[in-house]
Amino acid sequence: MTSMTPEGLIDWAGPILNGALTTVQIAVLAYAIGLLLGLLGAGAKLSPWAPLRGLATVYSTLVRAVPELLLILLLYYAGAQALDALLGYLGMAGAVQITGFATAVGVLAFVQGAYMTEVFRGAIMAIPRGQLEAASAFGFSRWARFHRIVLPGMLPNALPGMSNLWLILIKDTALISVIGFNELFFTIQQAAASSRAYFLFYAAAGVIYLLMTLSSTALFTRLERYVRRGQPTEA
Amino acid sequence: MTSSLQHAFRSHSSTAPAVVATQLIKHFGELEVLKGISLEVPEGTVTSIIGASGSGKSTLLRCMNLLERPDRGELAIADEAIRFDRNPQGDIIGLDRRQLQRLRAKVTMVFQQFNLWPHLTVLGNVIEAPMRVKKLSRKQATALGEHYLERVGMADRRDAYPAFLSGGQQQRVAIARALAMEPRLLLFDEPTSALDPERVNEVLGVIRGLADEGRTMLLVTHEMHFAREVSDQLVYLDQGHIACSGTPKDVFEDPRCRQFMAPAA
Ligand SMILES: Nc1ncnc2c1ncn2[C@@H]1O[C@H](COP(=O)(O)OP(=O)(O)OP(=O)(O)O)[C@@H](O)[C@H]1O
Ligand SMILES: [Mg+2]
Repeated sequence: MTSMTPEGLIDWAGPILNGALTTVQIAVLAYAIGLLLGLLGAGAKLSPWAPLRGLATVYSTLVRAVPELLLILLLYYAGAQALDALLGYLGMAGAVQITGFATAVGVLAFVQGAYMTEVFRGAIMAIPRGQLEAASAFGFSRWARFHRIVLPGMLPNALPGMSNLWLILIKDTALISVIGFNELFFTIQQAAASSRAYFLFYAAAGVIYLLMTLSSTALFTRLERYVRRGQPTEA
Repeated sequence: MTSSLQHAFRSHSSTAPAVVATQLIKHFGELEVLKGISLEVPEGTVTSIIGASGSGKSTLLRCMNLLERPDRGELAIADEAIRFDRNPQGDIIGLDRRQLQRLRAKVTMVFQQFNLWPHLTVLGNVIEAPMRVKKLSRKQATALGEHYLERVGMADRRDAYPAFLSGGQQQRVAIARALAMEPRLLLFDEPTSALDPERVNEVLGVIRGLADEGRTMLLVTHEMHFAREVSDQLVYLDQGHIACSGTPKDVFEDPRCRQFMAPAA
């Protein structure tokens, strides 16, 4: 029975840091996959092929219309079952740690991808048509046009939304704790419950989340300055 | 190096016209914008397309690099007959993508709105297509880029971003970008229409210089005096037809043509 002394915090420092690390890992992976899903989603939404557009619309609309916590629970259990079944089929049943991490990443990425789809779609549509036409007129392949013109052309428009989604994602990782996975928030809950030093641990959690979001905000600010290098700063 | 670059575009000895268009027809939905245009642009000459707004000038120009796909007709550009896919009725329904890419490396375009890529520097804009499309090394492309930036008087701004340049400067960079592909044919769609009046001459000066070098150019313009002065051939479009064509002298002296051009001029 530890009391409200900092010793409780020190005892728990290792697990908490581990939890924080897991949170960062989940967030980074989910974000990366979410970016990819978002690009695919935006590409689909802007595609001339109607079924593809429809699919992307269903995806982004449904995901954004349902409370995230509910979605995480739904997808988590569905995803975990599917993955368990798959691993069982491959004769690797019981690898719960892997399943937990993978589904946490998968679920958050799936949600991120839906929001990212809308961010990218808007950002791509905001590129002046003439710039894309110039690329076509010079004989760029589709891939060259995408990664040399479309991608850098949309980033200035997309980054504010992207940075927003990253902050939301870091905080959403806490929702993963509802399914009992050992990320930061879950570890903090355990620490708080076992030591009864609720305020201390939740405050510590707040500080850690704050550190994560503040440092990433600084990073996004620099990134934004870089992608806007060709734009005069407005007075 | 410099002189070999400068004259590279003359090195091919072919005497076939740079463009042979035969009976081009183009619709936008119900609207027939080109109603059977036949046009030749001999190698090493300048042809200007003039005509009222909406007469189809841009559409015709954009058929030359297939930014617009004609619905009917034949097209041969830079010694290559364009291989269109056609339905049994002869309507054009598709293109050969590889030929298209090859064509666009040989026929480059200068746009009314410049259309520079804002995230690339001046030099970056100029070397992008040579690197991505012609697969030149950065070093080769940079040598070309610097040469053509020099040519349009923009070498000292090579590291600037387009948004920090005046319209006239941006258009000169856009011309250098088109030249750096060392194209067989240069297309200009009203290159001075988006410019402040005091910036028009610096761009016209560059284009005049290119005409004097003997480059093959197809130019849509509202600048009548300029067209008359630099062109070997004038084409007057009226509602999707060629109403008049010939040397500037012929066109401006023909009473029938003058009557057409009266409202436009
Ligand atoms: N992509 C398009 N879709 C539908 N209609 C088009 C399209 N492009 C051009 N048009 C129509 O085709 C006609 C000819 O257009 P075009 O741009 O070739 O004219 P223009 O002679 O270049 O005119 P301007 O001097 O105003 O540039 C116009 O009526 C125009 O509205
Ligand atoms: Mg036009």
